[in-house]
Amino acid sequence: MEHETLKEQWSEVEDRDGIRLSWNTFPSSRMEANRLVVPIGALYTPLKEKPDTPLLQYEPLTCKQPCRAVLNPFATVDTRAKLWICPFCLSRNTLPSHYKDITQDAIPPELHPQSTTIEYRLARPAPSPPIFLYVVDTCQEEDSLKALKDSLVMSLSLLPPAALVGLITYGTMAQVHELGYGECAKSYVFRGSKDYAAKQVQEMLGLTSSGGRPNVPQQPGRTPASMGPAARFLLPVQQCEFHLTNALEQLQRDPWPVANDKRSLRCTGVALSVAIGLMETSFLNAGGRIMLFAGGPATEGPGLVVGPELREPIRSHHDIDRDNIKYYKKALKFYDNLAKRTAHNGHIVDIFAGCLDQVGLLEMKGLPNSTGGHMILTDSFTSSQFRQSFVRVFDKDTNDNLIMGFNASLEVLTTKELKITGLIGHAVSLNKKSGSVGETECGIGNTCSWKMCGIDPTASFGVYFEIASQGAPSQHQQGPQKGMLQFLTYYQHSSGQFHLRVTTVARNLSGPTGDPAIAQSFDQEAAAVLMSRIAVFRAEVDDGPDVLRWVDRMLIRLCSRFAEYRKDDPSSFRLEKNFTLYPQFMFHLRRSQFLQVFNNSPDETAFYRHVLNHEYVGDSLVMIQPTLDSYTFEQDGGVPVLLDSASIQPTHILLLDTFFQILIFHGETMAEWRKAGYQEQEGYENFKAILDQPREDARELVQDRFPLPRFIICDANGSQARFLLSKLNPSTTHTTSTYGGTSRSAQTIFTDDVSLQTFMDHLMKLAVSGTS
Amino acid sequence: PSHHAPSLSPRLDGIQHGMNNMNIGGQPPHQGQQMQQRPQLNQLYPTDLLNAPLNVAELDLPPPPIILPPNSSVTPSPHANCPPKHVRSTLNAVPTTHSLLKKSRLPFALVIQPYSSLHDDEDPVPVVPDQVIARCRRCRSYINPFATFLDQGHRWRCNMCNLTNDVPQAFDWDAATQKQLDRWARPELNYSVVEFIAPQEYMVRPPQPLVYLFLFDVSYASVTSGLLATGARCILESLDRIPNADRRTRLGFLAVDSSLHYFAIPRDDSEVGETSMLVVSDLDEPFLPTPADLLVTLTECRENIETFLGKLQEMFQNTQNGGSCMGSALRAGHKLISPVGGKLTVLTASLPNMGHGKLDMREDKKILGTSKEGSLLQTGNSFYKSFAVECSKNQVSIDMFLFSSQYQDVASLSNLPRYTGGQTYFYPGWNAARSEDAIKFAREFSDYLSAEIGLEAVLRVRATTGLRMNTFYGNFFNRSSDLCAFPAFPRDQSYVVEVAIDESLNKGVICLQSAVLHTTCNGERRIRVMTLALPTTQSLADMYASADQAAIATFYSHKAVERALGSGLEPARDALQSKLVELLQTYRKELAGGNMGGGGLQFPANLRCLPVLFLGLIKNIALRKSAQIPSDMRSAALCQLSTLPLPLLMQFIYPKMYSLHDMPDDAGLADEQSGEIGMPPPINLSSACLVPYGLYLIDDGQTQFLWVGRDAVPQLLDDVFGLPDKSQLKVGKQTVPVLENDFNERVRAVIERSRDHRGKGVGSIIVPHLYVVREDGEPGMRLWATTLLVEDRADQGVSLKQWLGMMGEKVAQ
Ligand SMILES: [Zn+2]
Ligand SMILES: [Zn+2]
Repeated sequence: MEHETLKEQWSEVEDRDGIRLSWNTFPSSRMEANRLVVPIGALYTPLKEKPDTPLLQYEPLTCKQPCRAVLNPFATVDTRAKLWICPFCLSRNTLPSHYKDITQDAIPPELHPQSTTIEYRLARPAPSPPIFLYVVDTCQEEDSLKALKDSLVMSLSLLPPAALVGLITYGTMAQVHELGYGECAKSYVFRGSKDYAAKQVQEMLGLTSSGGRPNVPQQPGRTPASMGPAARFLLPVQQCEFHLTNALEQLQRDPWPVANDKRSLRCTGVALSVAIGLMETSFLNAGGRIMLFAGGPATEGPGLVVGPELREPIRSHHDIDRDNIKYYKKALKFYDNLAKRTAHNGHIVDIFAGCLDQVGLLEMKGLPNSTGGHMILTDSFTSSQFRQSFVRVFDKDTNDNLIMGFNASLEVLTTKELKITGLIGHAVSLNKKSGSVGETECGIGNTCSWKMCGIDPTASFGVYFEIASQGAPSQHQQGPQKGMLQFLTYYQHSSGQFHLRVTTVARNLSGPTGDPAIAQSFDQEAAAVLMSRIAVFRAEVDDGPDVLRWVDRMLIRLCSRFAEYRKDDPSSFRLEKNFTLYPQFMFHLRRSQFLQVFNNSPDETAFYRHVLNHEYVGDSLVMIQPTLDSYTFEQDGGVPVLLDSASIQPTHILLLDTFFQILIFHGETMAEWRKAGYQEQEGYENFKAILDQPREDARELVQDRFPLPRFIICDANGSQARFLLSKLNPSTTHTTSTYGGTSRSAQTIFTDDVSLQTFMDHLMKLAVSGTS
Repeated sequence: PSHHAPSLSPRLDGIQHGMNNMNIGGQPPHQGQQMQQRPQLNQLYPTDLLNAPLNVAELDLPPPPIILPPNSSVTPSPHANCPPKHVRSTLNAVPTTHSLLKKSRLPFALVIQPYSSLHDDEDPVPVVPDQVIARCRRCRSYINPFATFLDQGHRWRCNMCNLTNDVPQAFDWDAATQKQLDRWARPELNYSVVEFIAPQEYMVRPPQPLVYLFLFDVSYASVTSGLLATGARCILESLDRIPNADRRTRLGFLAVDSSLHYFAIPRDDSEVGETSMLVVSDLDEPFLPTPADLLVTLTECRENIETFLGKLQEMFQNTQNGGSCMGSALRAGHKLISPVGGKLTVLTASLPNMGHGKLDMREDKKILGTSKEGSLLQTGNSFYKSFAVECSKNQVSIDMFLFSSQYQDVASLSNLPRYTGGQTYFYPGWNAARSEDAIKFAREFSDYLSAEIGLEAVLRVRATTGLRMNTFYGNFFNRSSDLCAFPAFPRDQSYVVEVAIDESLNKGVICLQSAVLHTTCNGERRIRVMTLALPTTQSLADMYASADQAAIATFYSHKAVERALGSGLEPARDALQSKLVELLQTYRKELAGGNMGGGGLQFPANLRCLPVLFLGLIKNIALRKSAQIPSDMRSAALCQLSTLPLPLLMQFIYPKMYSLHDMPDDAGLADEQSGEIGMPPPINLSSACLVPYGLYLIDDGQTQFLWVGRDAVPQLLDDVFGLPDKSQLKVGKQTVPVLENDFNERVRAVIERSRDHRGKGVGSIIVPHLYVVREDGEPGMRLWATTLLVEDRADQGVSLKQWLGMMGEKVAQ
């Protein structure tokens, strides 16, 4: 099949099923699979918006234990015998009585061939309305705190009226506000310097029923008794809006004095641990978000990331590299433990940072990463970047339901040829063993089921597979043999019911050894994203250079395996169409902020990696290899150009999209004209138009983007232009004499600032040498 | 009426020698030689205790007069020597040697009561306003009426250590009028009790504002008993009474159950209008949840404080919380106010059952009345002593208002006031639903809040060379051998100091000077100085003839408390008895010539009440042998025995009883001249004095009983209670109704007058409960009332007659 046709097919599948696979034909033997270099993987977006798919209002039919596969279009249904054969385990299951009217022409929706993805609304109701617990840093400048307060007050109007909401503020100490208390403003105060155990937090808030603790009798008509004592702190927004608005408006800066040479004391760790403890007691496995608004780093108590002395700088990548880190490991351990607890409890932690400096995202990253929370890094809460991203969290669908799922879990079933090696994305293992679990591990492995707590329509997960060692294709089926996957996503829909999304994927298994169908089925975009996730996953534990070497090695091996060439003749090197972009992606990946961390702060690194692990293929590729469009008088609208320094021209305007930043760059001449104000003058309407066009296009790009990117407008030779230059291929600046020769090892020859051309040259040279 | 001229305006006696004083610094007008001739001291009047019955009026007699040689003082002022209401010596003739003192078996101690009222204007003392303070270079005594001037008045000789000192430059100069001043008119030379306004040197730091931090128990017990509501309302209504002349007085509030509830009260002019409650449940090491607004200036936050106090009850009205972390709350309160110092006022109805200083319910009915009972009177947790000492160091004083209906461990809790100059106020079984309870507490608490306490006070007693202050008794922390520290100096307590004679005294007159350095609640540093001059003697007879029975009883009351807490009740009672025997024996052997005097029991007339006071002590609820007295009641009574001002202590040991049905015509009516209510004569505390048709008031100062005889006539009941017959008369806590008849009015006037502290020359907040008792009514109530009849034989106690008989036998041995 033509590559373009295949691409279209994959795109259709992506639209329908939210899934892209690195290989769309599965190798039928383990040996063959091992030679693929890029693992079999799927980038799956479970809640991908499918407005046209019907929502089934009944319980799914499942195969018998232990298979439990859900009835799907690939099942064989015997309408006369009233039974169906499970394509995963080949068991026969009788159809229940209410399926008795099935005929060839009248089949239930889940059996429809288009229903490879289908969603059930289950009878299981959510244990409580969604919960939103705001954790607010009060060590901020007045204007910043004011802006944050405004945003928070505004957000109350975005919440469903029944949603439960709570407030914790922190600075030197952490305060839990008792919103259900009518006599006066009341809050429970926790010492900022102390590591409170979960049980202590619960006792101190009076959440345990025993032991003479505060136990305010139920006031009729207030909150359901089932919510228990925590109902004093988390109340329906419709009930406490006035009180909470008041509390927010009365919020003052942390009152404790701060010396000139000190940072504010900020007990972020205690505040989070109290928030988690509060939710844990009374709302275990009820969907909820703990939303942290951090105006600076934790400087007090458990989880502190920098001391209060200003002369002591917060750790950099260099400090971490040199192991010059006083608090890092302790803090990491502290937050990772919290993350584990939160994930176990089924709650989400979002982190909103509004600070020019770092706030300790590096240490805290486990919280959003393990719970499917958001991580939003902005310079200030006064910025529109924060304001708009925050509002976006509360986006609603056409039924006025929040577009967010809670308490999600993903289970993957496979036919016997395929085994799961792991998942990379914002989730934790549920440690579920099944016949589908493979021997090797990639990402979060040794399980066929993961928990994500928070999930949204763009949340995407890399799931990796291997071929079972003994799995010879079964012979009794007719036609091409198929390997199958089923993705079962249970989650609490914000409408209040649990849903189950089922995606069933079937792909041909390759024929005899050397089947060219495998190479043809390579989706280089999906592959690049899946490999990026592995690289970033490795980078979290391995040294930077080791990861780069691994990326290089894999690329060389892939090329050696799939390119056409004569041995030791680089000039003969040719790649099939569906492989040609892959080396570029890898080139940009290894230059990207995901792997080259030293130009960024550790917080930024944590942020970038977090976002990469959340997005689907398209957006991920923008992050890996930004897009660059050029605008000139010669053409109408923007034209994609090479991400290359050669694209900088005096009479061009460039629009760069790195996903995190949208940058408009005026070439030298364009900039001069703009400064001279021609666009305001009559007769220069087309100049005005060309100035405006990239802005409009940028606005278009930003439309659905979350988090809102940073918007930069700059001119040639301006200081902001560095953001553009850092992303461009340095083709016009490189000198080949500085390259190579220092190392003899094939895997280590790439240096950081080589041009794409040089990179390709060396790739070809190494690929054809057959050393790998 | 005041015994002192309240102001420093020229007085008659000043004018009298004004002519002689044109030559400033010359000899004073009448200064005589120190050892002129010994005056005739008090005569010994022996009496027979067994054959002359006790006349209770003797209890009210003044102590034997202090007879000094003429011209002992530098001015002829009648106020040169210290009046007994401020300082009383057990001996108004002091033995010159230690061996004579020892031989006498009498104690040598001072009973010091620096203040005789809750408020200055009720009993003012002369003030030396010019900050010119003449003090001895060596012994640091303050110049006083018993100093002498030398060298044309340029120098003065210290009457304590004999050192010659320069007279301060400005001693005769009035800086205000820029004129020469009449030295002989200076208050410190005319008055034994004066107050100096202290200059800068007397301050470790600037005078601190008055601070009250209220610790409210908000647990179930407190809320349901109405304590929280009553306490909050009482503070609210007393805000104008809290001393605040300098507008610096600060208040703070802490509510306590199983958590600490702080209240941040914004200033009235602040944008943050609302008081917020900050709950801290971390009791390990209590901390302040916010740096500001927890201790606020009354004047600046008046409105918000009022609003807060008005709401406080509602804030906790639904509580089910049974916890009390009062120890932790105290630590938190200490942390809050220790930078300034001040009062922690605790209102609690609970046993602290969690957090720091956690106490157990350790009372066991089975050990009451046994030798193990003593342990219940001791502290249950070392926190209470060590914390109190810490408080004292940081100028924090604690007052405990205790209201539990169950065991509250008064023994442990009372340590807090004991070492910090505070007081324990005990309201057993209190409930605001009973209006008598609510009114009593509200009146007492309001008076408490109004009292002009002193701050950052120290008490030191200096004396003529050869004397040494040996042991101090009372509520304070004994910081060094002769220095007692009071973070806050109360106005309703007295102190006892035992004096040792280290060297023979060769002077005819010795002096003991007590000085209380303090900051007034208006932010002024002052020293209240009380100088007592006493004649010396080498004669045992003089000593016995000048011994002060009330002061001696007070001294032994403190000793008994010390013994009870240290060794137990039985040893305390035994020690009292042995002491009395010892005194009687000594008197018999040394002064009555050793003979039995015809089977009588001889003792000087001025000490005739001592045996009955000792018996009263032994029978006091604090010490009485009984298996029925809850240990909290005992502990509270022990607190009173060791703090009550002498007149109240005497009444507590030997209550007042008045016969009302036959009171004299002038009793219960205002005297035409003085306006004072006339009282019936007190009668002996013996049931033999009660007639069955009578009506009596028995009053120990803490509790009053209105005793209705079994044959009380209907007319009496109708007049007093407005009831047709006795069957309708309820017994128990109540108030005599206000009726339109003469007798009712007079009875009420007598009851009211009996409660009057000013008339007794003491400051006190106590408003005694009045219980109506029917002789033929509820036996428990009747029994309780009869325990006050000290002269009767009771359960495990002997009658006065038996007691004297026993004494007689022991003395004869
Ligand atoms: Zn099956
Ligand atoms: Zn001296």
